[in-house]
Amino acid sequence: MKSKLVPRKVKVLDVQQEAPDISTLTLDCHSRCVPGQFVQVSLLGVGECPLSIASHSEKYMKLTVQGVGTVTKALCKLKKGDHLYIRGPYGKGYPLKKYRGSSLILVGAGCGVAALKSVIDYVESHRKDYKDVFLFFGYRYAKSIAYKKQATEWKKKFNLRIALSREKTKSCLQWDQGHVTDLLKKEKLGPEKTAAFVCGPLRMINDTVKILKKKGFADTQIYMATERLMYCGTGACCHCMIRGKLACTDGPVFRFDEIGYYGND
Amino acid sequence: MTVYKLQKSALPKFLESLKKGSQVFAPVKRDVIRFEPLGNPADVDLSANSYFPLKEYFFPPKEVLFHFSKKGVSAPVKRAEKRIFFGVRRCDLAAIQRQDLVFIKQQKDPYYAKRRENSLLIGYHCNTPPSSYCFCGSMGLEDFYDLMFFDRGSHFLVHAKTAAGQSLAKNKFFNKTPRKITDKERRIRTRALKKDISQLYNNKGWKPLAKRCLSCAACTELCPTCYCYEIRDEPSIEGPYKGKRCRSWSSCQLKDFTRVAEGHVFREKREERFKHRIYHQIQYFKERNKINLCTGCGRCVAGCPARIDWVKAVNRMKK
Repeated sequence: MKSKLVPRKVKVLDVQQEAPDISTLTLDCHSRCVPGQFVQVSLLGVGECPLSIASHSEKYMKLTVQGVGTVTKALCKLKKGDHLYIRGPYGKGYPLKKYRGSSLILVGAGCGVAALKSVIDYVESHRKDYKDVFLFFGYRYAKSIAYKKQATEWKKKFNLRIALSREKTKSCLQWDQGHVTDLLKKEKLGPEKTAAFVCGPLRMINDTVKILKKKGFADTQIYMATERLMYCGTGACCHCMIRGKLACTDGPVFRFDEIGYYGND
Repeated sequence: MTVYKLQKSALPKFLESLKKGSQVFAPVKRDVIRFEPLGNPADVDLSANSYFPLKEYFFPPKEVLFHFSKKGVSAPVKRAEKRIFFGVRRCDLAAIQRQDLVFIKQQKDPYYAKRRENSLLIGYHCNTPPSSYCFCGSMGLEDFYDLMFFDRGSHFLVHAKTAAGQSLAKNKFFNKTPRKITDKERRIRTRALKKDISQLYNNKGWKPLAKRCLSCAACTELCPTCYCYEIRDEPSIEGPYKGKRCRSWSSCQLKDFTRVAEGHVFREKREERFKHRIYHQIQYFKERNKINLCTGCGRCVAGCPARIDWVKAVNRMKK
């Protein structure tokens, strides 16, 4: 029996600075994964942390890291050619195959956009399978917008709206001011043949779900990605338990009716 | 399978004979009754349940997952030692069954599996509940042992359940008897957990319990089934590239259990943490695996410095 907790060594092919404390690492990793899944990334001697995969390709794997904790801060300091260790991919992703032929609404805020980026990559490579794709992203400042380069491209291909919650200067002109939920409220969206994928902080997820439900979306059309402290990633350590469901193996993407409103219990 | 008879006076000799070729662990009275490598067989104390469960012998409080250096990672190779555990109560046996389910069947965890591989479990059946906090009678425990000792005053009736237990029973001290162990004899009359808690999450009865809770984590440390763990790196003093990654027990009663980067704690309130433990034990695990995680040993109540008797409180809760 080989331990699932022993990671494998992976080379960093490229590092791209997205924002002052956010960088995207491109890894020499060829795992097949479902958009929305995550990997356990570790730096030996520092620790391990779960990160969502921000790409959909078997040639490489991209991870977008915001330096907020011990491991993520250390990850942000990595350079091209360095090595790190990963395990995974783990978890259930977004049910993209199930919603072939439908429209998609992606709502993300902050680092939550990273998980949705894998969905966008998937949709880009299977563009014919999906009808309208709406992207609603929220950030605090204009400088903290991740994937700026890609954003111009996405704007042409999809309906992209970005809200900046704490930006008051003119740099905000290109995008909207306020929260991502404000954008969602104003937009005319119907629940027919549509799925909504949400990823972000706790309150934003709950607010988004409330708005979507007001717009007539059923519980089964809303999928949300959850965040918890995680150690094993395989369903044993139980740190990620949300009302008996495990974010690592049952999630991290849950259909809304599986756990209900995302709470602290 | 077969039932044997063992005179009580022959028990020390039998335990002495077990020591040949394997390590024997049995409950011994020290400051409290605890499982220890057996020295003198006369020390064995079966008067009450051990204060600490058997968990640490299979799932130690801290263990090395792998060592790392600049060259890479290397997982330690462990030899499966031959170990015999004598005098294990029904609740602890069931707890090992549950941990086997999690670590071997579901996780295929080599560290745990290696420790369990050559271990034999010899149970000791409680005629009367060893503590007033026990409630195993209502937890629906199944039989899980190699040999089980039933105390019959002057002698033991020994039931062998597995082939390994059967071969262990082939010695000069045991005599076959045609007797059967009836279901009535297997039953332990304890107090009961009477309520199904699935609809009681928002009950007012939780609040006074949580108010008394000190978040000391004694309940999870003493629990024979609690299997949550955390993983941390321990760099060596020789340099940052050398060290080990360890996993250790962790407790859902502590705030750190759900603290994520930037400091958000998901289960911030003590009541939420308190309820989480109980719900994981008797509801969440059941939803997943069809059996209770809790085996009703009552250690979490007996070992609680505030003596929070949640079983009693749950029984009193009204919808």
